[in-house]
Amino acid sequence: MKQTTVLGIWWSTAGAFLLLLLGGVGVHAQDITIVGAGTGDKISIATAGVNVGASTAERQFLQILQTDLKRSGWFTLGAAGASVIELQGNTQVNGSTLEVKCEVLNRATRKSYFARVFREAAAQPQLVAHKLADAIVEAVKGVPGIASTRIALVGSREGKKDLYLIGSDGGGLVQATRDGVPCLSPAWSPDARNIFYTSFLRKFPDVYRIDLGSGNRTRVSGYPGINSGAQVSPDGRHLALILSKDGNPEVYTQDLGSGRVTRITQTKHAAEASPVWSPDGQQLAYVSDVTGAPHIYIINRAGGSPTRITLQGSENVSPSWARDGRLAYSSRRGGRYQICIYDPKTRADRQVTKVSSDHQTPSWAPNSRHLVYARTDSYISCLYILDTEDDSQVKLTTSKGDWYFPAWSPR
Amino acid sequence: MKSGVMRIVMSAVVVMLVVGASGCKKKPKAGVTGGVGSDTIPLTPLGEIGYGEVAERGEFGEPITDVSFENVAFAYDSFTLASSEHPKIEAVADYLLANEGTTVVVDGHCDERGSRDYNLSLGEHRAMAVRAYMISLGVAEDRINTRSFGAEQPLDAEHNEAAWVKNRRAEFSLFRK
Repeated sequence: MKQTTVLGIWWSTAGAFLLLLLGGVGVHAQDITIVGAGTGDKISIATAGVNVGASTAERQFLQILQTDLKRSGWFTLGAAGASVIELQGNTQVNGSTLEVKCEVLNRATRKSYFARVFREAAAQPQLVAHKLADAIVEAVKGVPGIASTRIALVGSREGKKDLYLIGSDGGGLVQATRDGVPCLSPAWSPDARNIFYTSFLRKFPDVYRIDLGSGNRTRVSGYPGINSGAQVSPDGRHLALILSKDGNPEVYTQDLGSGRVTRITQTKHAAEASPVWSPDGQQLAYVSDVTGAPHIYIINRAGGSPTRITLQGSENVSPSWARDGRLAYSSRRGGRYQICIYDPKTRADRQVTKVSSDHQTPSWAPNSRHLVYARTDSYISCLYILDTEDDSQVKLTTSKGDWYFPAWSPR
Repeated sequence: MKSGVMRIVMSAVVVMLVVGASGCKKKPKAGVTGGVGSDTIPLTPLGEIGYGEVAERGEFGEPITDVSFENVAFAYDSFTLASSEHPKIEAVADYLLANEGTTVVVDGHCDERGSRDYNLSLGEHRAMAVRAYMISLGVAEDRINTRSFGAEQPLDAEHNEAAWVKNRRAEFSLFRK
């Protein structure tokens, strides 16, 4: 096996640690306390009360914080004295450390959401900015922030395919594998410490797990035939995946403790693909071509009768199940693949991309608001982030190459 | 979770893929109706169940390079074997039946359109349709393995109908034990 190298590991570990700390603070103030919420549904926030020093790191910190707050989708930047939320505090550089003291206040009520000190390497001012931005979103809106999250993706550069990681703001692209072989379908463990994916490392499609802390890579499924599309259950104890070892591609679950696999679908005349878990772990959505074309079905995690949920479009593929229960998928409509969102509660179905390009493999952010997907124009594939509140889209990948199979980290 | 998996992997019994293994009995061929629509997929297991660090797949023996066989073609989004493709598969089956100790890996491929993850399953289904037809012709199931590349290895990198026709295919790799 070739050596796996994952750069910037401490970055992710530190991020996970901070979120644990945040969880302990117990600040879950909701936006019900907010009145006069500025532009549209967005809340105006003023950063002028943060006394920022003159160093490059401090100035970059403020710029990145402002960008993060806008990218969160919840805020607009407002003037001091005229915004709903105010930040107060100061920054300083102590040796190699950037320290930011910040209090977040409701300007009218003077209610304090939190007052905290953030410290990170001054050489990477984005770390403090992302953590503060996420803390603000969590405290004011009660939902997870996405500034510190990352996206796993497959990159194809000069014909060589490998697994990469990128920040959700498009920064910090790192190459996670150096195999130059086909790889597909990365997926995160719920604790964001492992990535499962399909690789032809040993000439056949097998499922591997990369431990981001140690960089170790282990093959977790190497049966005859295909082993692909692994997704970790919300409790972190099982995989859903596609195996063909019994003579036909089907959905299976695999107990990560015992290794035991259980067949879920029974369609000897059809191929299945792309299983994903419901947020409560009780159901699976997957693709099956049992009707002759691929469509999306939901089945109980123990098996049984599946229900087809996609009735429009000539093909429906690549489901992603958000924490709020909605499913995003790619639907072939008018000859192009478009991203659609289906809500099982209301059965409402909405097409969220419109332009005449192919939009594929959506993956939900942990905030159930943003999606990342691969868009192909002139046979070049790039990743875009879409805000499902207003369907605005921002290009994520700018480096040369083809980028696809995005998977948004759960934290 | 991690330590449990590691334990399992490290203690996993090394299970040989049963390619060409002696003593394997052929299963009855009843119900195999090779080459007709979706009924070409009998549930014929691919081999012994392995887990984790099983024996290296792909080590099937010495590649056979002095013969070559035509690729099997498929329609878009289909794994159905057209009757025009039968003679190509029969040629491989004849070779295997005439040459003891040889095995084949059938590689299934798709064109670039559609989802890459679904294409991986579709490519496997194509390879398995070819395998099922070979089994119906009398080739022992443990001499035929499948592998899907999905849309990952096109023969022709162009983005047009002519390239897509070439890229939707099953390829044969033969080995001698």
